[in-house]
Amino acid sequence: MFRKILIANRGEIAVRVLRACRELGIGSVALYSDADRRGLHVRIADEAVWIGEAPASQSYLNGERIIQAALDCGAEAIHPGYGFLAENAEFARAVAQAGLVFIGPPPEAIHAMGDKGRAREQMLRSGVPVVPGYQGADEDNLLVEKAVEIGFPLLVKAAAGGGGKGMRVVRRAEDVSDALAAARREARHAFGDPRLILERYIANAHHVEFQVLADGHGNVIHLFERECSVQRRHQKIIEETPSPLLDEQLRAEMGAAAVAAARAVGYQNAGTVEFIVDSHTRQFYFLEMNTRLQVEHPITELVAGVDLVHWQLRIASGERLTLAQAALNQRGHAIECRLYAEDAANQFLPAIGTLLRFIEPKGPGVRVDAGYSSGDAITIHYDPLVAKIIVWAEDRPKAIQRARSALRETVLLGVTHNGAFLQDVLASAAFRQGSMHTTWIEEYFAGWQEPQCELPPEVLAAAALTHFQQTANGVAVAPPAADGRDVYSPWRIANGFRPGR
Amino acid sequence: MVSDRAGEWKGNAMRYRFESQGQVYQVALERRGQVYQVEIHGRLHELEVLDAQPGVLSLRFEDRPLVLYWATDGERKWISLDGCTYRLGRPAPRRARAAGDGEHAQQILAPMPAQIRAVYVQQGDTVEKGRTLLLLEAMKMEMQIKAPQDGTISRLAVKNGQTVEKEQLLVEMGGAGDAG
Repeated sequence: MFRKILIANRGEIAVRVLRACRELGIGSVALYSDADRRGLHVRIADEAVWIGEAPASQSYLNGERIIQAALDCGAEAIHPGYGFLAENAEFARAVAQAGLVFIGPPPEAIHAMGDKGRAREQMLRSGVPVVPGYQGADEDNLLVEKAVEIGFPLLVKAAAGGGGKGMRVVRRAEDVSDALAAARREARHAFGDPRLILERYIANAHHVEFQVLADGHGNVIHLFERECSVQRRHQKIIEETPSPLLDEQLRAEMGAAAVAAARAVGYQNAGTVEFIVDSHTRQFYFLEMNTRLQVEHPITELVAGVDLVHWQLRIASGERLTLAQAALNQRGHAIECRLYAEDAANQFLPAIGTLLRFIEPKGPGVRVDAGYSSGDAITIHYDPLVAKIIVWAEDRPKAIQRARSALRETVLLGVTHNGAFLQDVLASAAFRQGSMHTTWIEEYFAGWQEPQCELPPEVLAAAALTHFQQTANGVAVAPPAADGRDVYSPWRIANGFRPGR
Repeated sequence: MVSDRAGEWKGNAMRYRFESQGQVYQVALERRGQVYQVEIHGRLHELEVLDAQPGVLSLRFEDRPLVLYWATDGERKWISLDGCTYRLGRPAPRRARAAGDGEHAQQILAPMPAQIRAVYVQQGDTVEKGRTLLLLEAMKMEMQIKAPQDGTISRLAVKNGQTVEKEQLLVEMGGAGDAG
């Protein structure tokens, strides 16, 4: 096992990996940008190294500097987390060339799966079903022609893409050119690669993915599925396992396909094979493989009883997988809710601000993976994921109850967030029936408003009381400042967080 | 002076005004020994403070025990109760709105905190409705800012690469008729 590793990430995933290091007795080195000088991941690491200015391109995406930092501090390996450089084959190769271990798959596997067009071809050769579509010579005229051939609705995707960037749904032939241009621009910005592929758009589809683990000795297993159909802007907000859609037979078929996909590219370490399942025909199609740890990995950990980050570290250090496929099973039900700083009532636009107060829910079966604590700021530079609230219970209805209760207990003040929206999603009949699909949020929750049009009297009373106690009872009332402004106005006193942070 | 404060005395009661989602609420609070009497829009409620810590109030409201968390950001008061987050502001002082200039100008504000990734127009340009003026990016999102009407770019308030706050002015447009 490694003695010391560097974690090339920030936020909740850096915290998650740091905790695993502590448990396994591995020394940990965190990185931070100017924006994260006092970040949670910095505060809990054994060592922390400054890596650059706040924009990711000058810090967490600066591979050269990260590798140098790892060499300077004597780390033996680099854990990339997710996002940033996690799926960058060049980076993985450079890490190896520097004599360090990349905690993830071999660069060849990242390369093979990193390009959606190439991955589709590879899967077709390996007998893994893919969505009807087109990948190949990338000229606008040809793409328009192929689009018409495939038919509408159609999905335009960045070949190098992920996370919904560079992706467009096209419903009419006359919109193809505009969609191609917009997707290309986004793809170039996000990935430095403007190439596109086309896929038939499957309506009412479920997004179901399989977790795989593969070691360097030829062992590949899957750890069952995660249902990730609850999405906004093509990004997941609630995930669960088991999927309410699958039965034993479909699960076995998809699990076998996931293992075949991983084997086809010589995969090692933790990875996720994503499928689209047509809920009418129950046909499944390979979508892509995420060659890294996923945001939603904790629900698999809870239901399969396996610590995925521990296994990432063990596999990367050369250990053999001792988990046998036949011995694995799914126990109970787990749900993850992603608490984002965003405005659910306004197109889910990201929000920024200081977390004046953040109190995580607690109790049996509740796990919180957070990247921030009270006093931290959410900035425009990074993903606005504040925390993942993950619950486990004996069955799906109980898990939904527990998730709702945990969200009710969560306190997050100072930044607009999606807590109330998540509660409404969990409470909806369609979610309780398990009949949600990938565009369900867009369709069903269009025009959603925060249910607080009328303030309850107890909240107004409390607001008055907080003023009253400061002005009349508690804090001394100072005379107005010389400029006539009341510097001691309760509006200006920020309670409940550490000033100066 | 007194009106600039959060509340004002009226008899034995302290009166407060709050604003939330465009509505103004009036609250009067009066201490009566162990309990407080609260009047909200003519209705009386009784409450008792069971415990008060920085940012946490434990109350008995009518007969119901409650725990509320609160904080202020200098502008607004944030309160959390049972998984709902409320934002209460100070009602805007009533004052006559400046008439005259700016009546026809359309202000385009940033819909989210973001970085300006591209500027497609210049001050003085005439644009038609729907024309893309700017490209914004924040976190994982890209957003095009389009002209809401035909008209002239009377003011371009941002530069490429600049960071903007939510609701910061991006562009001012004059109507098609009032160029110059």
